[in-house]
Amino acid sequence: MNIKAILPKAAFPSVHTAWKQYQPNASPPLLPIGAPQVDERLRGGIVQAGLHEFFGGAKADSYAAAAFALLLAWRLPENDAGIFWITGDKERQTSGRLYPLGLSAMGGNPSRILLVQTADLRDALRAAADTIRSKAARAVILETHGNARLVDLTSTRRLALAAAESGVLALLVRGDAVPMPSAASTRWQICSAPSVPYPGNAPGLPTFDLRLLRHRGGTAPFAARVTWDHATRSFFDTPLSGGLSAAVTDAEADPQQRFRA
Amino acid sequence: MRLAACDTAALALGLSAGMALADARARVPELAVFDHDPAADIALLGWLADGCERYSPACMLDPPQGLLIDITGCTYLFGDDEARLAKDLKQRLRRHGLTGRIALGATPDSARAKALYAKSAIHALPVEALDAGDKVHQALRRAGLKTLKDLACRPRKPFAARFGKATVVKLARLLEEEDARITPRRHVPIITITQNFAEPVSRTNDVLDTIATLTGKAAAQLNDRSQGGRRFEVSLFRSDGHVARLAVDTGAPTRDSALLMRLIRERIDTLSDPLDPGFGYDLIQISVPTADILLPSQAGLETRVDRSAQTAALIDRLSVRLGSDRVRYFAERNSHIPERAVVECAAQSGQPQKDWPQATEAEPPMRPFRLFETPQRVESLASIPDGPPRQFRWRKNLHHIVAYEGPERIAAEWWRRKAGHEQGKGGPTRDYYRVEDSEGRRFWLFRHGLYSETDAPIWYLHGLFA
Repeated sequence: MNIKAILPKAAFPSVHTAWKQYQPNASPPLLPIGAPQVDERLRGGIVQAGLHEFFGGAKADSYAAAAFALLLAWRLPENDAGIFWITGDKERQTSGRLYPLGLSAMGGNPSRILLVQTADLRDALRAAADTIRSKAARAVILETHGNARLVDLTSTRRLALAAAESGVLALLVRGDAVPMPSAASTRWQICSAPSVPYPGNAPGLPTFDLRLLRHRGGTAPFAARVTWDHATRSFFDTPLSGGLSAAVTDAEADPQQRFRA
Repeated sequence: MRLAACDTAALALGLSAGMALADARARVPELAVFDHDPAADIALLGWLADGCERYSPACMLDPPQGLLIDITGCTYLFGDDEARLAKDLKQRLRRHGLTGRIALGATPDSARAKALYAKSAIHALPVEALDAGDKVHQALRRAGLKTLKDLACRPRKPFAARFGKATVVKLARLLEEEDARITPRRHVPIITITQNFAEPVSRTNDVLDTIATLTGKAAAQLNDRSQGGRRFEVSLFRSDGHVARLAVDTGAPTRDSALLMRLIRERIDTLSDPLDPGFGYDLIQISVPTADILLPSQAGLETRVDRSAQTAALIDRLSVRLGSDRVRYFAERNSHIPERAVVECAAQSGQPQKDWPQATEAEPPMRPFRLFETPQRVESLASIPDGPPRQFRWRKNLHHIVAYEGPERIAAEWWRRKAGHEQGKGGPTRDYYRVEDSEGRRFWLFRHGLYSETDAPIWYLHGLFA
């Protein structure tokens, strides 16, 4: 007999039951992205108390997905609760570490960020679920790399339920992975986009190509290009080059086709 | 080769330590001999000392085969009877097949000498107990002073003049006239609370209930002292002598027993090898080695959620489960080398740094949001030797550069190098470029070394911009 076998497991035996009984709040608090055209499509923004998934378009775009998730978390008004950045050892090795001097240059406050580094994805998912549930976090960003079988319908439901209960913004960054069924409220594909150059042909502000792949509220998929402005801590619609005024376009029927190699 | 040690059976046959192996074999042909392993001896002694912490937190190893335990104020479990404690210890040793000579004394020196020379009275000890060197012992014996009794009644001053002050101090300590403390092998905790069992317990719920009760008592004691513990240790003494220790650290001083129980459960849950109660625990102990001041805080009238307390509790939980170095804050360091300018500190050890440089409104971010701990080597092509790269290959992908800014020149920290102040020995300078490729990805590249410093400088990718 050992103590470990008898202690209550952190697992939730009734995720499936809870998910069936789960009724999304009719008018949940929304987090606007800041770009008017995108927010109009989203009818106000993304659900604050929910799980959102971010895929990189190509392998090299997983950084863009991570950056976009982090910038979204910064859109939340500041309070005592921190932003938890949860990664595994493998992710940190492949994608480098967060660099606070760069974060503050993007208008963020590095002292709000708490890094949690786990040995593997299983620990990371558990830490994320606990953090979301604890209400001590403002936002939780879980970074994964590759097609992980552990990030399935059950584990994302667990995160989504915890987020709905605690009101914490849960962001799941999935670099170098193919979208699979999950319980996320929204699913995005993020790519880096050419920036509007500064004088002297210097690279400009962080610019992203967004593509909404799935929305639980029924919003049709669309694509948009947004730029982050660190002074106002907000995204704005990027005018496309070539005199096109609209930044938001409807995506093709099959978003998978748009995945770049 | 000589005998290093003999067991009682060998001693009965007339063998003794120090005897040549050939002589011993000649006397007892069927003698079983094992290699002397001093490290294993010390390890066994340490294991015994762990077990002896059931009597007192202050134990000290006295190699090669001694163990000193300070039992001052620790005999209440034995009805304030030291002899009963000694008897209990002797029985436990016997269960492991060990023979111990146990002696009680008012000072460590007297107890040690009594055990070493197997005498119960100090005055019967030989002068060798002074441990002052053969010369002194011989001189004393020649003067007809053979036991400490002979020395005790004589004036000390001539002694000090003849044999030195240290000998007199040693004598005073042996005669229990002067007290000395031992140096415990572990820091003596501020609070130790113990629960003894007449019958060993092995049911998990009983063990956890006991830990909860002891934690509550420790919390009450901390409350009386206006303190909060920073570290809590649970020691589970198994009846067969094994001791299992669990420790939880907290980021902020605490005396919340419910919180502590959660942390301890978490700790047990994450043990790599589960606790094995064996035949049961006969003593459970909780100790608080470090504590800080924690004044009682007044609860507010309105129920406001205390976020910082929640965060601290979460950090503790994650730290207990993953290891305290895996939950971290950022801190800045005084260096202009990008990878040295920032460190990550354990979140339990302090508060995050509040003041970070502010973003400049007029310019895009000049530092990447992700940095590689070791810069990634890239193959790069520049149009002119000292100019910016035109294209580079990283992780098998070719990137064509369409926009760049730079160089931002960052010199090496020559003062860290040997002879770094001399011309050309300060280390290669880095030229950083902020570049954007044709697909809109932004990178931070640098050329390691100027062309005046090296013939073929290498390009590295150091960071990624959003």
